[in-house]
Amino acid sequence: MLIPTDEKELADAISSAKGPLSIRGGNTRGFAADGTPLATTGLSGISLYEPGALTLVAAAGTPIDDIQDALAAEGQRLPFEPIDHRPILNSQGTPTIGGVVAANVSGPRRIQAGACRDSLIGVRFVDGQGTTIKNGGRVMKNVTGYDLVKLMAGSYGTLGVISEVAFKVLPAASSAACVLIEGLTDANAIKAMSRALGSPFDVSGAAHVPVGLDGTPVTMIRLEGFEKSVRYRANELKNILDEFGDINIELDPANVAKGWAWVRDATPFVGTNGDIWRVSVKPSDAPDLVAKIAPKSHLYDWGGGLIWVEVASGTDVRAAMRNIQGHATRIRGDGHAPKFHPEAPLLAKINRELRQKFDPRGILNPSLMG
Amino acid sequence: MQTNFTPEQLKSSAIQRSNEVLRACVHCGFCTATCPTYQVLGDELDSPRGRIYMIKDMLETGRPADEQTVKHVDRCLSCLACMSTCPSGVHYMHLVDHAREYIEQTYKRPFTDRALRWVLARVLPYPMRFRVALLGAKIAYPFRGLMPDARLRAMLEMAPKTIPPVSRNDDPQTFETPAPKKMRVALMTGCAQKALNTDINDATIRLLNRSGAEVVVAKGQGCCGALTHHMGKTAESHAAARANIRAWIAEMDGDGLDAIVINTSGCGTTIKDYGHMFRDDPMAKDAARVAAIAKDVSEVLMDLDLPIGADQDLKVAYHSACSLQHGQQIKTHPKTLLKNAGFTVVEPADPHLCCGSAGTYNLMQPEISGQLKTRKVKTLEAKNPDVIAAGNIGCMMQIGSASDVPIVHTVELLDWATGGPKPPALNNAS
Amino acid sequence: MEMPIPNADILAKKSRLVERLLQVLPNEAVIHSENETKVYECDGLTAYRCPPLCAVLPACTEEVAAVLKICHEMNVPVVPRGSGTSLAGGALPTADSVILGVARMSEVLETDYENRFVRVQTGRTNLSVTGAVEEDGFFYAPDPSSQLACAIAGNIAMNSGGAHCLKYGVTTNNLMGVRMVMMDGSVVDIGGAHLDASGLDLLGIICGSEGQLGVVTEATLRILHKPEGARPVLMGFDSNEVAGACVSDIIKAGVLPVAIEFMDRPVIEATEAFAGAGYPDCEALLIVEVEGSDQEIDDQLDLICSIAERHNPVELRQSKSADESARIWLGRKSAFGAMGQINDYMCLDGTIPVSELPHVLRRIGELSDQYGLKVGNVFHAGDGNMHPLILFDANKEGDLELCEAMGADILRLCVEVGGCLTGEHGVGVEKRDLMFDQFTATDLEAQMVVKDVFDPNWLLNPAKVFPLSASEERMAS
Repeated sequence: MLIPTDEKELADAISSAKGPLSIRGGNTRGFAADGTPLATTGLSGISLYEPGALTLVAAAGTPIDDIQDALAAEGQRLPFEPIDHRPILNSQGTPTIGGVVAANVSGPRRIQAGACRDSLIGVRFVDGQGTTIKNGGRVMKNVTGYDLVKLMAGSYGTLGVISEVAFKVLPAASSAACVLIEGLTDANAIKAMSRALGSPFDVSGAAHVPVGLDGTPVTMIRLEGFEKSVRYRANELKNILDEFGDINIELDPANVAKGWAWVRDATPFVGTNGDIWRVSVKPSDAPDLVAKIAPKSHLYDWGGGLIWVEVASGTDVRAAMRNIQGHATRIRGDGHAPKFHPEAPLLAKINRELRQKFDPRGILNPSLMG
Repeated sequence: MQTNFTPEQLKSSAIQRSNEVLRACVHCGFCTATCPTYQVLGDELDSPRGRIYMIKDMLETGRPADEQTVKHVDRCLSCLACMSTCPSGVHYMHLVDHAREYIEQTYKRPFTDRALRWVLARVLPYPMRFRVALLGAKIAYPFRGLMPDARLRAMLEMAPKTIPPVSRNDDPQTFETPAPKKMRVALMTGCAQKALNTDINDATIRLLNRSGAEVVVAKGQGCCGALTHHMGKTAESHAAARANIRAWIAEMDGDGLDAIVINTSGCGTTIKDYGHMFRDDPMAKDAARVAAIAKDVSEVLMDLDLPIGADQDLKVAYHSACSLQHGQQIKTHPKTLLKNAGFTVVEPADPHLCCGSAGTYNLMQPEISGQLKTRKVKTLEAKNPDVIAAGNIGCMMQIGSASDVPIVHTVELLDWATGGPKPPALNNAS
Repeated sequence: MEMPIPNADILAKKSRLVERLLQVLPNEAVIHSENETKVYECDGLTAYRCPPLCAVLPACTEEVAAVLKICHEMNVPVVPRGSGTSLAGGALPTADSVILGVARMSEVLETDYENRFVRVQTGRTNLSVTGAVEEDGFFYAPDPSSQLACAIAGNIAMNSGGAHCLKYGVTTNNLMGVRMVMMDGSVVDIGGAHLDASGLDLLGIICGSEGQLGVVTEATLRILHKPEGARPVLMGFDSNEVAGACVSDIIKAGVLPVAIEFMDRPVIEATEAFAGAGYPDCEALLIVEVEGSDQEIDDQLDLICSIAERHNPVELRQSKSADESARIWLGRKSAFGAMGQINDYMCLDGTIPVSELPHVLRRIGELSDQYGLKVGNVFHAGDGNMHPLILFDANKEGDLELCEAMGADILRLCVEVGGCLTGEHGVGVEKRDLMFDQFTATDLEAQMVVKDVFDPNWLLNPAKVFPLSASEERMAS
């Protein structure tokens, strides 16, 4: 395995490569491609952190935990709540911030704070020819030239190997609460979450668990912020969601955090053996789609905009998606269907040609995305 | 913006003023957002910014007005919404008035255009002639489909079904107030309004009298000149204005005037601009004196402390005429007065947008005017009002031609609420 | 401003082009007379002007596609135009190009409160997107100061921000999908009412590409429920350093204001003269606004004020009512108009790390003395976006060039301290020639290959963003 220790070594490793390279950080996300492994874990360390400016810059191989610890020490955090894939994939390794960016890993708070790509403000990467490129910087407002920062997020190493990332971070919440509704059907849960998300109360998480810890459905709506504000908003939400059923409010921030980490990491699927897909749809389309897919188990996040489904090995979830807008990505399992959602011909062409431009030799995670 | 006038050109007072206006414009484009023709046509050429640009080019080069510039300037409603919106204080009205004058002087319009404009200038400002024309229009109305020109058709369609008899209240005279006298005002009786609707002046006189104002109809006053001014026929507009200025100065220097009350906001905007219009004229001082006391009827009523009225149980949709809200920047008085009188007041969406009447615009630009009329009526009717109130006869005619909701002048409702008769339009409705 | 030499072949075939365009558009949608194309010769940046070959005003995606197809076949460049409010010359034509204005396409196509999005034609103005949903209590968050007039199309092209972007993000964070017409006339739908890209983040690369990758005719935008309320606090300080330190402390305390606006003394004075908002006599003024219920606002403002107290403010004014809020904001909102009354001005748009503000302001003061041109500074203190306003006289010979030179120095300074050339307005033509101050040739090449994919013939919005020297090879072939 190639483990360059600085950007120059990384560039050399790529330009001198004779064949496909399998780019990875901690290799915990399940997106390894075929080829000579090249890890970024040798490029590690936070190079800049200005809490008063909400800015953090780090090398791509920096363990995500290091980043989160450094932020927590100043009462700040990565707003997009990255998932830990290790439990559901049973993978080993130390996830890196570069991997989080390359896979645009974003958790429940995406619904309010945006995805990883929305917090990313700067990137340095080495393309398939060994050329080092930078885009963006360390300031939030930056429209100088094309936004390659956004293009690199979620590019799964196919356009270049990310060597450094810069983030706009946000204050961590000093308190949290979770509004819980028991026993809702999928359809009503989506309605309840839509009403909550369409309220002025700044909901930071909306998930529906059809089979909760006690076996019954629970709809979870999270509020974060200063304690007084959180209590006020939780109460207001309770009022507007009254007609949906019995509502409890969890006020202990530690319990709230535990519950949402459970949702974040798709814990119902830990240790099970079906294929896992992440489906992205318009929330109001979600319940019908789930009915069509008829999964072994499922979980709604992002107010219904994200559905985790577990299906029998080899099932192609996309068959049920013919007439609805959205896409499905296979996270776990080795079915015949491609991991990434096949795109319309013109879009597929654009994707392909972009990859060809950045990686003419086709050595960076080839065939991973199409 | 940078301007390129020669010192020679800048010797002209008109060019000087236009240069000032042009220099204030920074070409930001905010004006496009509230321009009715830009909303309808989506073309920079039919936006204030584009018109400013074309006028600038025309004046700087000193060339005769060209067909394209004329087309787009003609399409301007002079609603002045752009002036309300402009963050830089560009006095668009003065610029476009100058451009119209310039066009009239340097551009030979096609014969039908010239003929039409000549007729309008010779008829509308003269109530007697206008009444005759309206009678003629009534007779010709069934044949409007045969009219070859869309504008002639529009004229026939705009003519009212009933023409009121001449009101003797419009003759020169003084109406004394039965209440303790608070002020002495002159009523601007107007021109076209007199022929179309005598209820407005009658209601105005009653209301002012009841509230403590002595009202005089000055001898020798007539059309304010707006109609011809907006055609660029400044010799004629100045002649009309001169007559008014003399008539009112006579009263001001006689028994004195606290205000000149104007109940057609289109006229009000022009009379308030007499100072600017006559700045290079020997009558400059008198014009400024007159302009200084020119007031919309709603302004005067605010000073007269009308009694607070009991709930009238009537929903009034207030239509804010452009000349009132943009030209005179009077946006709240009429609503305040109506609310105080006990009416429930609602406003349509997009209240800043013109109804398309704009003086003779609905006759000269029937297509655009029609589109704006449809939009305005839709937003007004969406509020389900019992009655629509406006401060300008032009708007009343325009909206009235496309809506079954009764439409009255604001003063008619205020007159009614303080002891006057129920407005005839409301009687017809019920 | 150096522009490419117009292609004589294209100029020669103008009448043929107009003929073909008139086959796919109604007469009044094709503007080609000299007097009329003139109004399309510039946008909000009037220093540079060039009438286009002609201008077209399509009314739907199909018409846009038909126009682009013709231009593609005839190798005619196309300059897309929204409301023409760009301050960077983003819609500046070349003499051989066709202006494609989208202002006729301004309808709301779909409003969905359950799924919290609105789909609009991109000629619609930014504020009227909020206008379409505000009666139901919703709004579209990105709010550039020109939002009354600017079009969504331009917002997407420039990735526009606004005072509220500290909390709600900029256009790219609120854009969910687009319908885009490619230069060859093919139409592509990207994204939609669902979240995240299915493959590469094409929405992300299209947003901010300054009309050079395609013409976006429809957009799906995220809408949010209006907060219960919002109120500002006004703070006056006797130094820029102290103001900056105060901002830093507010952020570190965990408060996330919805806007933090900074004005320096020259702007405060000009604004007072123009709008009389009652601003204090001080070196630096901050307006910090927070959202929530009345109680939540009070709690946040109390916290902010206690932080501000530690910095010995000259004045501290918490708003307690809508009226007071309006008065506090009045000055800031009239700032540009106020400066414009004094003289012509050039508004710059560089971003800096917020901690560098005092240093940058000092250097700007030095440059002001050096060039003999007065400067006032408005600054989005929460995100580092500066708007130095350089006063000059457009009618005084040489002043514009002096102003541009000074502006370039200020922008280079922004890059020098770790910031960038433009935070909101985009590169356009205005900063094109400064791109090498921020990027290496390889950095720019990486951006240009993206355009190679979308617009291989480089016909869309020529001579913008990339220095002419960087793109000349491609243009030659």
